[in-house]
Amino acid sequence: MAWTKPILREVAC
Amino acid sequence: MSLAAASVPRMPRGVRLQEDRVRGGWVLLAPERAIALDAVGLAIISRIDGARDFGAIVADLSETYGAPEAEIARDSGEFIAALAERRILEIMV
Repeated sequence: MAWTKPILREVAC
Repeated sequence: MSLAAASVPRMPRGVRLQEDRVRGGWVLLAPERAIALDAVGLAIISRIDGARDFGAIVADLSETYGAPEAEIARDSGEFIAALAERRILEIMV
């Protein structure tokens, strides 16, 4: 698995 | 590095990592909000135990992914700092 910039994704709860 | 190597990130009380069985994947659940994690985000969060410092987390990720520590420190430092801004993580200096 390659390193990629992590994405911060807010989801509704 | 946007975080000091000796900084220790931790999850505050009321925040937890939970599997999202409905859609698959993992989310960080905080009161009234949730953060969906991609594979790298999960790799970072799963190494945060309130004891290991940022330098140790970066070294572990670097070994796992075979990527330069500088790149991982930059990306994961920004990620942790963004979560800390939202009070989903705390950083113990």
